[in-house]
Amino acid sequence: MSGREWFIERYHAMGSTLTGNETTSQAIRVNPHKVTDTELVQTLTEQGVQLEKIPFLDHGYKVKSSPFSLGATIEYLLGFYSLQETASQYPMQVLAPTSSDLVLDMASAPGGKTTQASAYMQNKGTIVAIDVNRERLYATENNVERCGVTNASIHHIDALDLPEKPGFTKVLLDAPCSGNYVTDPNWFNKRAQQDIIRNVEQQKRLLAKACALLKPGGTLVYSTCSLEPEENELNIQWLLDNYTIELAPLSGPGSPALKEINNTILHEQVAYCRRFWPEQTGSQGFFVARVVKK
Amino acid sequence: MRLLRRFLRDIGSSYVPDEVVNINNKRFTSPIDPPINIPQQIYTGYYLGQNRRRFEPSSILLQRLAQESSIHKVYVDRDTAWLFVVGKDVFDENIIGKTDGVRLGGYCLVMYGDDCIGYGRYETSLDRRVVKNLYDIGDFLRREQE
Repeated sequence: MSGREWFIERYHAMGSTLTGNETTSQAIRVNPHKVTDTELVQTLTEQGVQLEKIPFLDHGYKVKSSPFSLGATIEYLLGFYSLQETASQYPMQVLAPTSSDLVLDMASAPGGKTTQASAYMQNKGTIVAIDVNRERLYATENNVERCGVTNASIHHIDALDLPEKPGFTKVLLDAPCSGNYVTDPNWFNKRAQQDIIRNVEQQKRLLAKACALLKPGGTLVYSTCSLEPEENELNIQWLLDNYTIELAPLSGPGSPALKEINNTILHEQVAYCRRFWPEQTGSQGFFVARVVKK
Repeated sequence: MRLLRRFLRDIGSSYVPDEVVNINNKRFTSPIDPPINIPQQIYTGYYLGQNRRRFEPSSILLQRLAQESSIHKVYVDRDTAWLFVVGKDVFDENIIGKTDGVRLGGYCLVMYGDDCIGYGRYETSLDRRVVKNLYDIGDFLRREQE
């Protein structure tokens, strides 16, 4: 089963009113290692860039218009900001690592969230950033250098090959997923239900590994840029059923996650997670869960 | 270590990094010790730069060197800074400020305000005095295109 109509009908059955034509503005995230929000906004505004603060993000700004590419400015090269989609700035804000944390970024490429973690940690503590894709890790290395990060260790390794030792106080699993149509105009033509099923199996393996790597009392933030409940609410239900974890409530952007899927009532804590419907948030589709290991 | 030491000497820095780690021809200091044993490390801690034909300093190292008052610096405006980061040399007439001691044949950092955007050698080229571009932070864009 696939196709635009099938997906949109499915989303409408979940309560969304999306049309399938939603888009999102380019967004930037200020790097507080290097510059204050006020300084950067002033500098870019003087050059004709129109920015609008994203109310639910600490350092996120929507780009209303720009006379030039924001990926090729002196300020970008100096690491004053990163290009990072609105919703994808949210998971690390939820994880909120501090300078005393041992953080694992399980699917780190291209490194936007790794540099964001370092900013929260004031370049102290430890970030281990891994990815299975060597080509995409070059971007992680570049971003980490550009943003002045000095507290990261980057490894080219499949997260599933990590030794199962609970060494981390915080883990981000921004999982490989089916994606969504907002950032990919051909998405509806490329995706089918089989892709979702395949991704779910991988996501469960990664979730299990994340739990094994987390110290008791530690926090896992699980996120996807998928709108499919199998990759989101149902994965979290599976985690609750199989691991000694609990969910922490999230407030802020998006809607509470779904409570019922295909006539199956989910654990009440699943609704603590947040789901970003594009027509409501003006961002891409997204899902975020905050999991605490007991 | 040899190329790194030579670069630091040429630029006039007193910085001596301790515990320099070599990963794939890249040099790091203050390496990070992961809480569990993880193989296949490609980057750790404070990135100093990499050996190519000459030592190419990281932007992290350049920003550190920019804090050293003894290192020679030339200052440029925005337009010249942009030309520099796309690989051009800086003509003498486009330099808006210089620290004392910038001399022909010597190395200097190229500064845009308080930020270092690369370094070069002050020399004569076709009867014009220029800061010959030896490395600039536009390298990030060039790497993205590779």
